[in-house]
Amino acid sequence: MKKLALILAALMAAGTLTSCGGGAGENGTLNLFTWEGMFPEEVLTEFEETTGIDINYVNFDYDETMLMKLQAANGGDYDLIIADDYIIETAIAEGLVQKLDKSKIPSIGNVNPLYQGQFYDPTDEYTVPYGAGVQTIVYNPANVGIDITGYADLWDASLADSVGIISNYRVINGMALKVLGKSYNTTETADIAAAGAKLNELAPNIRLIKDDYIQDDLVSGEINAAVMYTSQVTMAKLTDPSLEVVYPKEGIGFGIMAMFVPSKAPNADAAHKFIEFILDPERGAKCYEYLGYYCTATASEPYITEEYREFLTLPAEFSKDNMEMIENITPEADDAHIAAWSEFKGLCE
Amino acid sequence: MNRKKQRTANLAVLPMYLFSLVFVAGPLVYMLVLSFMTRDGFGFQNAFTLENYAKIFDEVYFATFLESLKLAVISTAAVILLGYPFGLGAALLPTKYARFFRTAQMIPYFVNSLLRLCGWIIIFRANGLLDKVLMAAGITDEPLKLLYTYPAVVVGMIYVLLPFMFLSVYQVAEKLDLTLVEAARDLGAGKVRAFLSVTLPLTMPGLKTGIVLTFIPSMGLFFIASILGGNKVVLIGSLIEEQLMRAHNQPFAAALSVALMLLTGVVCGILMKKRRDV
Amino acid sequence: MKFRKRSLIYPIVMTVLTYLPILVVAVYSFNESKLSSKWDGFSLKWYAELFRDDSILEALGNSVFLGVTSSVLAAVIATSAALGMARSKLPLKQWVEKLALLPLIIPEIVLGMVFLAFFSLLGLPFGMLTLIIAHTAFCIPYIYTEVAACLDSLDYSAIEAARDLGAGRLTAFFTVTLPMLSPAVISGMFLSFAMSFDDVIISIFVTGVSVNTLPIKVYTQIKTGLSPKINALCTIMLAVSVFCLALAGIIKKIHQNHS
Repeated sequence: MKKLALILAALMAAGTLTSCGGGAGENGTLNLFTWEGMFPEEVLTEFEETTGIDINYVNFDYDETMLMKLQAANGGDYDLIIADDYIIETAIAEGLVQKLDKSKIPSIGNVNPLYQGQFYDPTDEYTVPYGAGVQTIVYNPANVGIDITGYADLWDASLADSVGIISNYRVINGMALKVLGKSYNTTETADIAAAGAKLNELAPNIRLIKDDYIQDDLVSGEINAAVMYTSQVTMAKLTDPSLEVVYPKEGIGFGIMAMFVPSKAPNADAAHKFIEFILDPERGAKCYEYLGYYCTATASEPYITEEYREFLTLPAEFSKDNMEMIENITPEADDAHIAAWSEFKGLCE
Repeated sequence: MNRKKQRTANLAVLPMYLFSLVFVAGPLVYMLVLSFMTRDGFGFQNAFTLENYAKIFDEVYFATFLESLKLAVISTAAVILLGYPFGLGAALLPTKYARFFRTAQMIPYFVNSLLRLCGWIIIFRANGLLDKVLMAAGITDEPLKLLYTYPAVVVGMIYVLLPFMFLSVYQVAEKLDLTLVEAARDLGAGKVRAFLSVTLPLTMPGLKTGIVLTFIPSMGLFFIASILGGNKVVLIGSLIEEQLMRAHNQPFAAALSVALMLLTGVVCGILMKKRRDV
Repeated sequence: MKFRKRSLIYPIVMTVLTYLPILVVAVYSFNESKLSSKWDGFSLKWYAELFRDDSILEALGNSVFLGVTSSVLAAVIATSAALGMARSKLPLKQWVEKLALLPLIIPEIVLGMVFLAFFSLLGLPFGMLTLIIAHTAFCIPYIYTEVAACLDSLDYSAIEAARDLGAGRLTAFFTVTLPMLSPAVISGMFLSFAMSFDDVIISIFVTGVSVNTLPIKVYTQIKTGLSPKINALCTIMLAVSVFCLALAGIIKKIHQNHS
């Protein structure tokens, strides 16, 4: 018992010692609320040193958690949030987001217009994009006998038990919708059910469904083809350049992460300073290379190194006409999606 | 004197009493109420409905309960078989060895559970450590593809839950009066008889606790199935998460949780009752 | 009963299996590549990155503080309740006993959500306080069940013997009852510390702007993938705890040799 008390005391001492790091900077604090690992450490440090504003980096796992926390805080507590497109639409609708003061962001023109004027913020009053993901297929040509050009090829019998997909039903059900020639955002439950039935036929080919480390499984040979997120594609290609990346011919789905300032942010000024700081072309390039997502600032593209350029910038033929974002849909349609998805997962043994 | 004793006892129970009534019953009531509400966009509206509970009996959702129950039972059984002898065996060793094994079970918790599972991924994956060892030894010719299978999920469950059984059995067995076992042996009882009539009953409280602490979490655990099983086993926990975090259906998620709670409670009750009869 | 070397085999096998995946994690903390599927050669770069990241070390400190505080609090609450439960006459006590165990049964994600809603209803400031309350709530069941099991198997004759020999109630409690309970309290506290130290879902929901815990830092790397600097951190923590325990063992030995 004495030993235990001693160990506890030592742990406590260690705990309090290391947790005393914080403290506000001379020009206040920026409460930055986003996923872990969104910025290289040196960029955050540089911001703190040049502005005297201390960054308090707080993390969430899901966009939904973020929204619940922001609702609980009534749009306060946090100064700058980076999250996914669809949740921002909800946050704006609930009045939890404030309009940006563009006069404080002179570099706003650096943003790639392809990623502006989207459904979640049609007039670009509230958000500045930071990274975009495009849904792509990656496969290992050494182990795959066919030429994969679109989603439909994943149904090929030669790929039995060797396909990996991410665990997001809107993306995966959406893939089946695309194969059937429908929109990602259809609200026709009959269409969604048809997509579910189509998806069930894919089950024998599925080896795994997961969000994390799917690129590892492709590199190790566990699977031969995968539908994955952009940062995973970047990592996979950097590790094994022989992998093929395919922009599915049925149509491109993409998502955007964007920065916004909550309605009652305690330090909105610092948030604007940070946005401006990240829009600096050279610094932005450094961030996107670290992040591994598509660069959303045109001005940063020239600064992206050769090694990364093909993964972080979109080929010229892409335009708003052949790309579609995944948007919020009606609860009924969502229910149909999740029922189809649960059934599909149960079939993948 | 007796009254004084009772007052002390009341006082001793009071902190947990108050804490549970406020911080457990409070959230619980919120959850119960929520499970009867109607979903509305991202949140919910205050309109009473039983629809959330009716929906549970949809075949596709009901199946997840059975799947979770199956995995929990398999995992708990495996943990009993592996963990009970481990805890008992370690506790009966001379103190310095016993303490060593107990401490050894505690240290791994400084390593995040996600990372520990990643360790298994590296071992199990195609062309991973295990495959390399087996192929080098000439036992197998090609990768076994062990990862993302049901057995891999069970291994992960056992790995995460075993310490609960180990510690529960250990702490009771450590105080075991070995003279009783010896007396039984002296009286001519065989090894098995001595175990069944003396050791097992004496360590039963530890075993029971171990079962409760293994079975209950295993009903809700789903991240092991998603990491080591490639998400192909659809568990109730992952359904609840999806309802809450992707489908934005808070009332249905609450109803599912209430159902899960009832199911777990009932199974635990039956389990404990049976044990008491033995 | 004599001690046979043979009886060491099974515990050793189980211990080796426990450490196998952890050793793999430790080895891969020296991997040059970010991906674990490829060994790119020995490198210390993740250790360098770890030490440049203040926020991770701060989160580690918070996690330790939170784990220790909640398991100590839970130990006090649960142990005293377990001791008093048999004699207490408080109304509905059996129901409260079951109620206290419920946080084990409710899925974490729902528990997190209802805690968030409930705490904001109460107007509690989100941060360390709410974290400690939530963690204490799910730590209590572990300690309570362990201590209750121990009380079930307890040899009450020893306590009575002590009382017969004239020991006062408090003396009997501190010299006989408590030492007999301590293995159970230790097991329970350890399990609660472990659960608290590893919890992420509930923590994310109930924490405030200024407190991150280590698991939050680990699990929220969703967009970019887990950085091996977490492997590096865990390797260091493992090494430090093994070192401390070895040191404690040596000190104890020297102490014994002296006396």
